[in-house]
Amino acid sequence: MARGLRLSSELIAGVLVGAVIGWGIDRLLSTSPFGLIVFFLLGFVAGVVNVVRSAGVAPGRTGR
Amino acid sequence: MIDPIEQFAIKKIFTIGHIGNQEIAFTNSSAYMFGTVALISLLMIGGVAGKQLVPGRIQSMAELSYEFVANMIRSNAGREGMKFFPFVFSIFMLLAVSNLIGIIPYTFTIASHIIVTAALALLVFLTVLIYGFYKNGLKFFKLFVPSGIPIVILPLVVAIEVISFLSRPVSHSVRLFANMLAGHITLKVFASFVTMLGAFGLVGWFGAILPLALVIALTALELLVAFLQAYVFAILTCIYINDAIHPGH
Repeated sequence: MARGLRLSSELIAGVLVGAVIGWGIDRLLSTSPFGLIVFFLLGFVAGVVNVVRSAGVAPGRTGR
Repeated sequence: MIDPIEQFAIKKIFTIGHIGNQEIAFTNSSAYMFGTVALISLLMIGGVAGKQLVPGRIQSMAELSYEFVANMIRSNAGREGMKFFPFVFSIFMLLAVSNLIGIIPYTFTIASHIIVTAALALLVFLTVLIYGFYKNGLKFFKLFVPSGIPIVILPLVVAIEVISFLSRPVSHSVRLFANMLAGHITLKVFASFVTMLGAFGLVGWFGAILPLALVIALTALELLVAFLQAYVFAILTCIYINDAIHPGH
């Protein structure tokens, strides 16, 4: 359970942060809904990158 | 049915004062934090009081915890990381001791509230950010630019790296919080099965053996998770500090 929660929290964090950034950009620049779409997808990618790094499949940023 | 969420309730013990209209109360959570810090202080002060060449029980525990955290920092953040030893040691000991206290029935687990773990994760995040810029200046941005990436897809990769960096405090805090919350709820739910089945008389007593055995097994698992999550939190802190010390490696 610990490992599952770790990996899922990484993915959710990436998606969540991406969505929040996109929503914030939409609010500030009134580009709705494109900021949310673009940053949600980028957040999803970042979440997957986090999961892959945290699972130790790919070498991390610091060559861990 | 016993309410499995009730164990996380914040209860006011007394009021310290007011900031604006907001009441600042001393709660059971604060009491457990103070208790944890007192226990750690007792362990550390008691550990160094004897100063024997052959350590006694308390001194050996204090030395073991020092060596454990020191090795963790040296292997994850290098020798330079040792200047963060007090920081990492405080976080690790606070979480480990408070999580272990939380295993005892009728106690409160401070890490089961996301505000506590989020505050700790933000502390780590801001430490990394501020120290990274203080030490490396603008070279800190190299963290977001991996080497050997074609210029065409570089903006995309940088955006992903920035989001990945910003998502760190979120996953850092949610991981610890979710583990403690889920573990304690599971324990409570299975424990309530024992009492509910016990109400059915003799057949229920035999039926209650299964959830009782599960509760015992889960308590052992929770003991492991309590320590492991404190360790994971501390080791991620070391890895993030390593990024602040050596960006772009």
